[in-house]
Amino acid sequence: MSPHGLLLDQTLAVSQRLLLEQWRQRRGLIFWAVFPAAMMLLFGLVYAHNANMRAGLDAAAAGILMGAALFFSCLGGTVSIIAAERERKTLRRLLASPLHPAAYFLGVVLAQMVLAAVQVLMLYSIAWFIGARYHGSLMLGGLILLLSVFAYVGMGFFLGARFARRSEEVVVALSAIGVPLLVLGGTFFPLEIMPAAMQTVAQLNPMLHMNQAFKGVAAYNLGIAELRFELIFLFVFCAVSLALGLRSYRHLLVADQKV
Amino acid sequence: MTVALKIDGLFKRFGEQQVLNGFSLQVARGEVVGLLGPNGCGKSTVLNIICQLLKADAGQVQLMGQSISEQSAHARARIGYCAQESALYPDLFPQENIQFFARLYGVTAAQRNARVAELMERFGLVPYAATRAGLLSGGWQQRLSLAVALVHRPKLLVLDEPTGAVDVEARMDLWRLIEGLRDSGTTILLTSHHLAEAQRLCNRVALMRSGKVVAKGSVPELISRVPGQAVVKVQSEDNQAVIQRASELGWAVRQHGGKLSLLLPQNLNLREVVDALDGTKVSAVSIDPVTLEDAYLELVGDGLLI
Repeated sequence: MSPHGLLLDQTLAVSQRLLLEQWRQRRGLIFWAVFPAAMMLLFGLVYAHNANMRAGLDAAAAGILMGAALFFSCLGGTVSIIAAERERKTLRRLLASPLHPAAYFLGVVLAQMVLAAVQVLMLYSIAWFIGARYHGSLMLGGLILLLSVFAYVGMGFFLGARFARRSEEVVVALSAIGVPLLVLGGTFFPLEIMPAAMQTVAQLNPMLHMNQAFKGVAAYNLGIAELRFELIFLFVFCAVSLALGLRSYRHLLVADQKV
Repeated sequence: MTVALKIDGLFKRFGEQQVLNGFSLQVARGEVVGLLGPNGCGKSTVLNIICQLLKADAGQVQLMGQSISEQSAHARARIGYCAQESALYPDLFPQENIQFFARLYGVTAAQRNARVAELMERFGLVPYAATRAGLLSGGWQQRLSLAVALVHRPKLLVLDEPTGAVDVEARMDLWRLIEGLRDSGTTILLTSHHLAEAQRLCNRVALMRSGKVVAKGSVPELISRVPGQAVVKVQSEDNQAVIQRASELGWAVRQHGGKLSLLLPQNLNLREVVDALDGTKVSAVSIDPVTLEDAYLELVGDGLLI
């Protein structure tokens, strides 16, 4: 098998395995479906009750997808994957195998993309039902989603490698580091109402750019020209994510050393 | 003799602790070599360095004549690794676990299904094909781990205390499987706390202490280094009297963990031993042939040599 063929097969093997495990642990899948669906329904009820806020429903749907659905499935899910590999001792088994770090990272990305696609379909079906609409380019929206999944997985690798040695620590890592990033990403408050210093710090947060880019396309039909800063940031962050993921994979090796 | 694995002068330090201190060993192709030694002597560290889970501070490891550090992924693809803990995906079925690792090791799609079926059959896993790995007993999980480790037909199989976490019956089953691998010419390096395991499975044994090999050879060779034909285990109210009598008789005396053993320079029967120890307040005596355990205690143990 050629090196590229092996890399591809390893990537597919990792992603298929993760999806199979997800399918067999249906409780996790139900949580990932129920949580964003419930959020969407609650937001829908609030917006429906306040006629003057209805215009914000389209942006809210985009925000829930990025901040509630993908945050927990792609970032939280990746942290859980790494913690589980450690707990089951399969991590050492993987590290002793010729599995390429990039194949592992891309395998996780691919599996999370499949889950994300299901979440997008489900969430926008509910959103459509309660009156929210998607206004922009599907291609551009899809690209932003791909970049966002990639970025979330990179951050998940980083958090998982450094802060989640056991599954109980997944929640701690997400709460202590992930949720503040969510707040600074404009998921709960618009950036404009934050103090100036917070706004400056928030500019470094990839979640802000994911939110702004996807809301821009989905709710306000913005194009590449208007979103070029967010897109460039996301592309750069994806490259950083890949580097972060590969480095984190190697870090796992160091962290799991034993005499 | 074709050398499969050559380890030369490994050093490894963790903080203040020097774990490996010039460890060297060769394993011939088709040979089963056991690494034995007390906890913390560096056995697992050696295996971790071979499997590239750790980097040595100094020294070299060559697999089939090539340095593993220069061809890291390629070398990993030629090693099979099975640890004490069964590292399996609990929600996957046994054949799915084997399939997954087959793909990581680059077993081609054309060969994969046949290889998985062969291993399922060979390791008796076919009746458990519909049972998730996480629901298998410890012994069956370890069988599956062994099958996973062999999926890519490795040049070297590394077993880190493979029976350390299973019950006696499962251990016997695993021994039979490992014997089968040995008899089919698989090169194996294993660590174990069970001396009987090493005695039964290994062509050669390397005894470790303080991060290096202190003795190596076949089991009969190591046993021959014990200065006695048989071991007399003695219980007495007056150990000093026994030691003095043994010295007068020219028998070597060993004391490990408060227990007294006398090494007989020639084979004697129980009557002759009891007569020889008459008057030393001996309450129980047994005579056993010299085993690997005696060789281990002689060469590695920190007991008293008198």
